[in-house]
Amino acid sequence: MTANYLKICEDSFDPEAEQKTFREAVSGVGAIVAFTGLVRGEDQNLTLTLSHYPGFTESQILEIAKQAETRWPLTGWRILHRVGAMTADEPIVFVATASRHRRDAFEAADFLMDYLKSEAAFWKSESVDGKERWIEPRAQDIDDKKRWEK
Amino acid sequence: MIEILFFGRLGDASETLRVELPVGVKDTNGLTKWLSEQNSALGSELEKAGNRIAVNKTIISENSAVKEGDEIAYMSPLSGG
Repeated sequence: MTANYLKICEDSFDPEAEQKTFREAVSGVGAIVAFTGLVRGEDQNLTLTLSHYPGFTESQILEIAKQAETRWPLTGWRILHRVGAMTADEPIVFVATASRHRRDAFEAADFLMDYLKSEAAFWKSESVDGKERWIEPRAQDIDDKKRWEK
Repeated sequence: MIEILFFGRLGDASETLRVELPVGVKDTNGLTKWLSEQNSALGSELEKAGNRIAVNKTIISENSAVKEGDEIAYMSPLSGG
């Protein structure tokens, strides 16, 4: 049975529960790296709304995960990404990777996150006190992704 | 019929369109031009850098054929996680 799992979530998810499910789904590994991205809590009036392109977004993420599997000997991966409206401190993304050795799990999780930030089909808008604006990748996000193109 | 979807910023400029393939439109460049003629606000958004186009859920990197039954998606720059 494969531990690989992808879900686009309309509702909030529990990263600790996801990590436990993942750990139970992989066996014989030496390392699990789990990353949770949160809606930054600096502004409590902020609402973040994410949309995606159903069908396309999923197949694109599977493609990115396949690339990670080619580059690192992974035993499994688990990716959850929120869509819809969310507020400060809510989990927005969860990425976990498992491998025999820690370096592969660390690097693969880092790679997956960099690609999710700038290559996965999500669109993010934020609304603060009723004012809405689209958020587009920062130069830093693009540079982060380029690290893997060497 | 073709279906034209707009994501991100571009979604503010247009709803999803289900239209007959416009006369004379054979490819994505032609479709983009036709859309700009229909809706100038959308047209100026479509000219901005960083947008992507997918035909039948595959990203294209150059002008591509558009035919009856296709799903074309116009996407503003992506931002996940």
